[in-house]
Amino acid sequence: MKQANYLKGLRVLLAILFFIPILFFFVDFRVLMPVSVHSLLHLQIVPAILGGMLGILLLQFILVLVFGRIYCSVICPAGVFQDIINRLFCIGKKKKKGSRRFAYRKPMNYLRYILFGLIAALAVFGFIELLLALDPYSNFGRIASNLFRPTVVWINNILAGLLAKVDNYTLFHVSLTTATTAGLIGGGIALAVFIVMTIMRGRLFCNTLCPVGALLSLVSRYSLFRISIDREKCISCKLCEQSCKAEAINVKDLSIDNSRCVDCFNCVSSCKKDSIHYRFKPVFKKETEDIKKEAPIADTLTPNKPAVSSNTRRRFLATGATIAATLPAVSAAARSRNRFRGSKEKDVNPVTPPGSISLERFKDKCTGCHLCVVHCPSQVLYPTGLQFGLGYALKPHMAYIDSYCNYECTVCADVCPNQAIKLTSLDDKKTTQVGIAEFFLERCIVETENTDCGACSEHCPTQAVHMELYKEGSTLTVPVVEPELCVGCGGCESICPVRPDRAIIIKSNVVHQRVEKPAEEEVLDIEVDDFGF
Amino acid sequence: MKRRDFIKTGVAAGAALTLNFDGLQAALKSNNMVVEQVPDMVAVMGGEPEAMLDKALEELGGIGKFIKKGQKVVIKPNIGWDRKPELAANTNPGLVKALIKKCLDAGAEKVTVFDQTCDNWQRCYDNSGIAAAAKEAGAIVMPANEEKYFREVTIPNGVILKKAKIHEALVEADAWINMPILKNHGGAKLSCAMKNYMGIVWDRRFFHSNDLQQCIADICTWEKKPVLNIVDAYRIMHQNGPQGKSAADVATIKSLIASPNIIAVDTAALGMFNQVKKLDIAAVTHLGKGESLNLGSTDLKKINIKRVRM
Repeated sequence: MKQANYLKGLRVLLAILFFIPILFFFVDFRVLMPVSVHSLLHLQIVPAILGGMLGILLLQFILVLVFGRIYCSVICPAGVFQDIINRLFCIGKKKKKGSRRFAYRKPMNYLRYILFGLIAALAVFGFIELLLALDPYSNFGRIASNLFRPTVVWINNILAGLLAKVDNYTLFHVSLTTATTAGLIGGGIALAVFIVMTIMRGRLFCNTLCPVGALLSLVSRYSLFRISIDREKCISCKLCEQSCKAEAINVKDLSIDNSRCVDCFNCVSSCKKDSIHYRFKPVFKKETEDIKKEAPIADTLTPNKPAVSSNTRRRFLATGATIAATLPAVSAAARSRNRFRGSKEKDVNPVTPPGSISLERFKDKCTGCHLCVVHCPSQVLYPTGLQFGLGYALKPHMAYIDSYCNYECTVCADVCPNQAIKLTSLDDKKTTQVGIAEFFLERCIVETENTDCGACSEHCPTQAVHMELYKEGSTLTVPVVEPELCVGCGGCESICPVRPDRAIIIKSNVVHQRVEKPAEEEVLDIEVDDFGF
Repeated sequence: MKRRDFIKTGVAAGAALTLNFDGLQAALKSNNMVVEQVPDMVAVMGGEPEAMLDKALEELGGIGKFIKKGQKVVIKPNIGWDRKPELAANTNPGLVKALIKKCLDAGAEKVTVFDQTCDNWQRCYDNSGIAAAAKEAGAIVMPANEEKYFREVTIPNGVILKKAKIHEALVEADAWINMPILKNHGGAKLSCAMKNYMGIVWDRRFFHSNDLQQCIADICTWEKKPVLNIVDAYRIMHQNGPQGKSAADVATIKSLIASPNIIAVDTAALGMFNQVKKLDIAAVTHLGKGESLNLGSTDLKKINIKRVRM
């Protein structure tokens, strides 16, 4: 009677294929996974918008136009994560055969589209804070990197302790110095929101708060393939409605809110009468009266949309065109927007990672997913709190507390999903000056204690900090900084033993500068024939 | 003295006498009037690292003189920097490998290799080539990136440094071999056997803020001294040390110095270094400070040195 249905299985399989590598990538504190995994993240929509990656946005547009919001059930890690929470929540509920009962609810379209409009408008005027606070991808990143990663490290440390007893050091003890309070709070809030909203109302987050969900919903209501109910066969048993995480199926009038449907296909699997299908059913193909019932879902509320037209097809085309036009505009506007922001120049600016090009650019592009924080082998990137203002909250900054940026490393740029950190080559990194070392002789050990130190120069990869004779007749040497060689890696600052204020400190470049690589010295052919003693 | 002990001693003494007598006879037979004494220090020049190590150990009486069967051995190379072997920032990996093999051949229960690096430790271990070489030779490569791998010990003879956290592998070891590479150093002026001790301690910042040179000398007075100091001077870093910028900082002088005497070995290494770059011994104050702590003498005339050219 019932036809075999592979759609849900396929969706689950694809979701796993996306989710598992992304999850592991975010907790991969030993950097065991190949850097290429990060290309999965290129498909994420908010990073793509901020990165101005038009090709990806076009692809996503086509995907949602043809298939509906597959993105929300497969590609988006936060979406899949909510499905997992839902699943975990169902464990032990045997009476319902391990599934939950949802019921149709009216869409919260006012909230959804006003919020979306606000986010879009703010973003156009250069304030992307609200967008990032609600961006599903970076929220998932913050949960994974700030909560899951410490958990994994903790387990690793226990195992490492056990293995060390038998002289095996395949696993080794790791301290997470980059787990900051700000990161924990950011990840904790996101996790709490996801758990609470999922447990209460399924995919409510995706259909009210999520800017990506709202954006996709504008297109998905016109998608070519969609779920629809076969009136002839339906016996109104409500199994599909109860299985719908999006609360989008209304059995009462056999309608489905395709703006909220995330294509999970649970309904298709739930139906015993084979009366609910995912099939090619474009809106403009006016073949049944179903469409009229589906159509009047509020879509007049978004400021991005054109005037309402009674003609579905025209409206569809206009919406599509507007969205297509708005997206690049958002990213373009975000790029050149400083005049809207007011110049509240703070005294202290964060040192931004090499490849972020400038503080302003980085603020506009970085989603704060903390992937770079996870992968930085030197653990020099820290999730930021409010110390550099709200506009920099939860983005990574470099702090040379006890480590520094490795001269031979480009990992942060390699993993960044949207080129917020962008390096073309290792040489690019080696010639990028993120800040300049500033030396304070009055605090230096050599001056205050009259003893040798030189730790700063020792750690300087370019010898921008080098040692020169302190005083005539003394064998002591003091550091001297050559700013035109300094890349701002923080080697000097990280090792300087002076406290509370160190004697050498990196002052950030708000706009990164170019420096020359240290001149290649001639390799001398040194012959030594004697022992010399 | 118990009777049994008396007999034992007597037998042992008798055996010793017999052996000595054999040795003397052998010397007489070969018509060699000078009985070769084992040198205090051996310097080898002109060979490949592994061959020079062979030669030096042979001259010193073989590895078995220093490493006994069943001992837990630590070899402490310099792995401080994320640099390739050619840039002479870290000890030659081939040399480390050869020494590990010798220790294992001598019956060491296990050989552990570690260093508290300056750059990211995994990058240093990997890019120096030492982790791979050591594992190949059968050593345990141990991390030193976390304070939990270090244990506090007292340094009763230290002037400033009275206690330090030292890597547990070394605290537990029965014997260890100090295996530095000869380098110029911005702070300590010379980085060799004494300076290499800094990689066994956790808190280097204390050294830098409390008279680096004195602390280097102090840590060398820790009761567990290396049985041997083997200086890798195949490639040396004569400027921009200890990290170096490029191949221009490197001189290939194809040498190796080995001795249980740390001051002697560093003084000799400094002599070698001076042929490439001028460096006054007065500037390398940890040598003088070590001498006053009775770690050895900078006067090389007082010791028996064997110089070998290959």
